[in-house]
Amino acid sequence: MNDAIAISSLTKRYGDKLTLDSVDLVVPEGSIFGFLGANGAGKTTTLRLLTGMARSTGGSVRVLGQDVASAGNPVRSEIGFLPDVPAFYDWMTAQEFLLFAGRLFHLGNALLRERIELLLDLAGLNDTTARIGEYSRGMKQRLGIAQALINAPRLLLLDEPTSALDPMGRRDVLDMILSLRGRTTVFFSTHILGDVERVCDTVAILDHGRIVAGGPIDELKKRYGKQKVVIQVTDGADALAHSIERCDWATSVTRGAHGEIEVAVLDVEAARHQIPAMVTAQGTGLVLMEAGEMDLEDVFVELVEGAKS
Amino acid sequence: MNGYLVFARKEVQEIVRTWRIWVLPAIVLFFAVSGPFIARYTPEIVGAVAGAQLGHLDLPTPSYLDAYGSWIKNLSQVTLFAIIIIYGGIVSSEVRNGTVLLVLSKPLSRGAFVAVKVVVNCVFVAALLCVGTLLTWALTLAIFGKAQAGPLWSAAAIWLVLAILYVAIMTLLSVAIGSATGAAGAGIGVFALLSIAAIWKPLSDYSPAGLPGRAASLAAHTATSFVLWPVLSSLVASVVLVAIAVVVFRGKEL
Repeated sequence: MNDAIAISSLTKRYGDKLTLDSVDLVVPEGSIFGFLGANGAGKTTTLRLLTGMARSTGGSVRVLGQDVASAGNPVRSEIGFLPDVPAFYDWMTAQEFLLFAGRLFHLGNALLRERIELLLDLAGLNDTTARIGEYSRGMKQRLGIAQALINAPRLLLLDEPTSALDPMGRRDVLDMILSLRGRTTVFFSTHILGDVERVCDTVAILDHGRIVAGGPIDELKKRYGKQKVVIQVTDGADALAHSIERCDWATSVTRGAHGEIEVAVLDVEAARHQIPAMVTAQGTGLVLMEAGEMDLEDVFVELVEGAKS
Repeated sequence: MNGYLVFARKEVQEIVRTWRIWVLPAIVLFFAVSGPFIARYTPEIVGAVAGAQLGHLDLPTPSYLDAYGSWIKNLSQVTLFAIIIIYGGIVSSEVRNGTVLLVLSKPLSRGAFVAVKVVVNCVFVAALLCVGTLLTWALTLAIFGKAQAGPLWSAAAIWLVLAILYVAIMTLLSVAIGSATGAAGAGIGVFALLSIAAIWKPLSDYSPAGLPGRAASLAAHTATSFVLWPVLSSLVASVVLVAIAVVVFRGKEL
């Protein structure tokens, strides 16, 4: 299988700030690839480098077998791109913008009209004649996805495609991405891990400009997916968390949104035995203790938090 | 359809369907219509305003050449200022609002993006100039009963070269500075420098600095020194400035 994207030692620096640090990444053709990272991790910069909108400080970027910096129009003819915040000509209607976009790809009128009808339907915009300037953020996002598909691209690059959408819109976009499986390579950046688990077969996790993990989701879970223990105590959670951190079976300790302690563990049996004893020694009460498998979100937090410490 | 033509069509539609169809045409048409009337009735206007203060001073009888002079003066001052301000964002406005990302991620080169904008807007200015000049000429003929076309059209042609130069200057400034206001400020600075440069005869004779003076002389039908060098140097400078703008834009992070 050919590589749709091959990034090697990619570095991007803005002044003193190192945004991408020797990134290596391969996206096989036909895959649905999730590019995960927290805000500011360097996802948008990577996408801009992939589309030739920015220039790398070092390393190489090959898209569909061609060097992005020098290939120009031939490579862009086979790409569909949705930026993080798509901006349109406000005075156009959705149909006019799709017509404009399709003509830039030199599509014939008959094919273009057929595709526009299909894409407007997909974007749920076939009933509106309003100008784009009157659209909501969600409508613009859906139009952005439609315009990225106008040329039936071999490679679809989506920067946070579901971020501005309501739950129904998100479901539709994810279904649309799933429907492209096998025909189009989809590379999409996101920080919504549920979306990735639903549609992607392969992921890479970017943290502070570095790839900290990558591969098929199942393999990633196996490789990094230790078991976890979730604990809730009546009080003294901070002291307990500190005590657990010192145990050699605990690889990371994080605090949940509701005060619970999440511990990634190497030896779940040791944790099961020792944690209640530690709680008792502290003189507090144990409200909850659950052991389970880590999901992608846990793997992501583990890797990103691990990289910080 | 060729990518250049597709983008050119979008530029034309944008001019027609946004505020841009109103501002520059309104300025040009206002001066085209008001110029001949103001030229014809200047003695009466001055007389009414100055009253007895004018004493027995006789103002010269206005001629159609005064209307032509007024038209070219307005083009060389207010209209040129409007061009500087409007085209300060010729490229940067699309970069700042993000529309450039959806356009340039498709098969349209950055060079084509800049070149098409320059060409379409120069054609737009030329079309406005033609309409305005035709209107000035027709009104002048109606008001004064005589209006030789040659001086007016040759002066307008010289001004068009100047306008093309300013569109090119503003394109480069818009690409390089990235802010429409900043580019407009720099454009006014260039306007001031060229006006000062026109005082020095060698620069006036051989550089774009001599164009406004040549246009005014042609409109007044007075002896005009050689126009070839200012015209030629302006056209060459325009091409060079746009080429530099393309090179700078190619190196820009979007």
